[in-house]
Amino acid sequence: MTTAAPESTTSLLDPTVLARIGNLELLARTVVDGFINGLHRAPHLGSSTDFAEHRAYMPGDDIRRIDWRLYARSDRYYLKEYEADTNMNFCVILDASPSMRYGAMPDDARLSKLTYGCYLAACLTYFSSLQRDRVGLVTIDNDIVDYVPPSAKHLQQILHTLDRVEKKGRDSKVTPGKSTLLAPLRKLSETLRRRSLVLLISDFYEDVEDVVAALSQVRGRGNDMIVFHLLDPREIDFSFSDASNFIDMETGVKMPVIPEYLRAQYRDLVSAHTAALAKRIGESRADYSLFDTSKPLDKALFAYLAARQRFSRVR
Amino acid sequence: MNFLAPAFLAGLAAIAVPVIIHLINRERKVVVEFPSLMFLERIPYRSVRRQKIRHLLLLILRCIALALLVAAFARPFFAKRRTAVGTTGAREVVILLDRSASMGYADRWTKARDAARKVIGRLSSSDHGTLVLFAGDASVANEATATPERIAAALSVAKLSAEPTRYAPALKLASQIISASTLPRREVVLISDYQKVGWVNHNEISFPPGTVVTTTDIGGGATPNVAVAQVTTDRDSTGDRDHVTVAARLINTGAAPKLVTATLAIGGRDVQTKSVNLPASGAQQVAFTSIAVPSGATKGAVRITPDSLTPDDVLAFTIAPDDAVPVLVIEPSGSAARANQSLYLSRALAIGDRPSFRVTEKPADALTPRDFDGRALVVLDETAPPGGAVGARLRALLEGGGGIVIVPGSGRVETWPAEWRALLPATVGAVVDRTADAGGTLSSLDYAHPIFELFNAPRSGDFSTARFYRYRALTPQPGATVPARFDDGSPAMVERSVGTGKVVMWASTFDPYWTNLPLQPVFLPFVHQLGKHVGRYADPRASFIAGEVLDLSRHGELTAPFTAGRAADSSSELTLEAPSGARERVTATGANHLVTLREQGFYELRGRTTPTGSGRPIAVNVDPAESDLSHLDPPDVVVAVTAVDGQRQPGSDVNTGTPQDQEQRQKIWWYLLLGAVVLMAVETVLSNRLSKAMSS
Repeated sequence: MTTAAPESTTSLLDPTVLARIGNLELLARTVVDGFINGLHRAPHLGSSTDFAEHRAYMPGDDIRRIDWRLYARSDRYYLKEYEADTNMNFCVILDASPSMRYGAMPDDARLSKLTYGCYLAACLTYFSSLQRDRVGLVTIDNDIVDYVPPSAKHLQQILHTLDRVEKKGRDSKVTPGKSTLLAPLRKLSETLRRRSLVLLISDFYEDVEDVVAALSQVRGRGNDMIVFHLLDPREIDFSFSDASNFIDMETGVKMPVIPEYLRAQYRDLVSAHTAALAKRIGESRADYSLFDTSKPLDKALFAYLAARQRFSRVR
Repeated sequence: MNFLAPAFLAGLAAIAVPVIIHLINRERKVVVEFPSLMFLERIPYRSVRRQKIRHLLLLILRCIALALLVAAFARPFFAKRRTAVGTTGAREVVILLDRSASMGYADRWTKARDAARKVIGRLSSSDHGTLVLFAGDASVANEATATPERIAAALSVAKLSAEPTRYAPALKLASQIISASTLPRREVVLISDYQKVGWVNHNEISFPPGTVVTTTDIGGGATPNVAVAQVTTDRDSTGDRDHVTVAARLINTGAAPKLVTATLAIGGRDVQTKSVNLPASGAQQVAFTSIAVPSGATKGAVRITPDSLTPDDVLAFTIAPDDAVPVLVIEPSGSAARANQSLYLSRALAIGDRPSFRVTEKPADALTPRDFDGRALVVLDETAPPGGAVGARLRALLEGGGGIVIVPGSGRVETWPAEWRALLPATVGAVVDRTADAGGTLSSLDYAHPIFELFNAPRSGDFSTARFYRYRALTPQPGATVPARFDDGSPAMVERSVGTGKVVMWASTFDPYWTNLPLQPVFLPFVHQLGKHVGRYADPRASFIAGEVLDLSRHGELTAPFTAGRAADSSSELTLEAPSGARERVTATGANHLVTLREQGFYELRGRTTPTGSGRPIAVNVDPAESDLSHLDPPDVVVAVTAVDGQRQPGSDVNTGTPQDQEQRQKIWWYLLLGAVVLMAVETVLSNRLSKAMSS
């Protein structure tokens, strides 16, 4: 199946509009259904009806799966086997570290990275659930914070958990603390028994090699990985003007900064970081996408579908 | 440096403006939460420190420019000293030499004189020196034109005094000498043991600017001292012979306990000796056993083992007889007297022994002039003042210091001798009958008056319960005072001074005939106070302090033995012989009744005919405060008396000199203004460069 990204974004998928929808399930349904209608495709996607190959009948096989047409021609019993005839695990790993709470300003309607990530997770979980996939959710900080094991019945639980995480990130005061991906991902890889499609949503304020090492913990167990890198527009363009004391949300370290002196070098460093991430993650056969939280969610959905399709072909 | 317009200096507060702006600039950095400083920390940062240095440079430039501008507007100028203090030329040197009793400690006096001798030795022929000896007061020891040799001679005859240390008179005298001097260099040399008790900071004492104050400290260090601080005597006159019990309080200021021997001497003979172990920095009471003393004033002394400071090792005192106040109560003669008319008054006066009153009652018609001999108080109890020779004697007694209490009663005052009218404190009017309204009361008492001051305190005598059913209406004479009034405003008691004596007129009676006052508890102390005041009784003092001024007119107990019987001659000369043998002519009253007791020991007061050794002894001791040898820091004295340099002296005028001179001294503001302009230009250039550097 091939999909093409629309030329223009729908206003309904604008994050600032979505932020007005309080119910996460309604939000996910709005996004996904709207997105699907825009594509003019049936909602039941997947490869469960796609023919793969014939196999010789073995005693004990269900005789209902015998290809009687082929028997008529060859007088032998063959069974028809279909591609992906079972539903898959779809697990979202959402980074809920302090740095992910950046972005929500009291004076505008912008979303924090965590909120944006929650919306993404909700939409994609809902999307996968429509395909009868088993959906799960893991929120991580220094460690695993919430764990909803993949199940076909866990959509509501996931949405509830996301709602709670998003509210917690918006309301509560955050205690600074440096977070790393390695420890929680290593622990998670031990719990994912079935081969899963793992979506990691994070801002990746870590050394590239540390990120790749953490991803390899999951990837090495045969899981497919999609990596969404979320950044606020100000993290990308560093559009601050006044000299300020910058406080690291993760470590609490304070640093006096005159933005005009540092902007260019900062942009270069961020570009280099994202490029390195894209390169190294791609090399580890995971799919990397960078998202600006001011952009609509449909781009993420396209990225997800493209990745999913690619993994399907690979298999 | 002074300022013509010092109000402009308030503009210096503007310096705070760039500082505040700078601080605001530094602190305006708002706090921004940022996900991670991972990338920012990797950037080789143009550090804040460099920014600070640049800003501080600008800040300093701006502050200095502002300060110069403000200073220029304040118009500074250099005042010309009114009196130029030279560093060369002749000197006016005042040597203040302490000769108080405390200088007798160990070899202080010798050291002090040696120090003074050195100062005198440094005087050149053009210098002018003055030796001031001081203790309780200060005096110049040499004449004004004395040569150094004459000053040294005056020093050699200077002797220690028994008087206490007082720095103020000496510094005042030195200030006067220095101020009057025309010599270019002035110097005051203060040679003393710097005893702390003698120093009281008097702000008005200040030497002229430029006066050099040199201190020579003879004191200091450990100064253990044992002294007799106090002696109390308790005289018992109840037996056949008077007995006295003496107790002395000994103090030890040393850091170690000390065993001393205390000796009591009475009449010049040692009568008792006791050993006392005095604690370190403590005191001990020594009680001697009661001994019989002869009649009359007797010399007494308590001595202890001599130590480094001998003047306070003995404390002399006088055991004076409790002389009764002789009172003569004159009653009406014959049938005019009521039964027991003077009973209440006589009995009230007979009670008590401090003082005791020796009351004699006599009818008016039996009086003779000799009845008034030795009387301190005469009470005319409802009888007219006597006339003739008896009256003249009574008036002489009055003018010589005696007292008369007149009770008119119901007598006919018209019949009183005319010569008394000028002496009476009030004109006696009709009898006021208050029986209809249950009697009058004493409503207005002058509690400042000696008779009533005892009753000033709460619950110390209640006159309100006394009722006065009848009394005479008194009209005070000019010059008379009214210590007490009845509730209708009429005087109850009128007092007047006649000569050195007093006349008091009492409107009611001293028996219950017209009033129930004699039946009230307050009657006894009232009568005693009246007797002490009108009879001019003074508590005899056992001893005096060296340097104290003795007012003989206030110490009748001292002069009474020599003036008794010669009331009219009370101003006759007496002789006061000092312990050193120096004699001085004094009088009980009149011009020479004040004398300063400068020497320690027993003075003797004698009449014209009194043989030597039979006079009234007067004990004089060193001030007990002199035993406290606490040390004062000499710079404290110097700072207190030295004028601050540049401080305007009274009468000084900073605007002296010609207008050209004044202008010359004031034109510094031009330079200040120029400096401010230059700095502002530099600041402008520098800030422009910095701004360009930042923007690039």
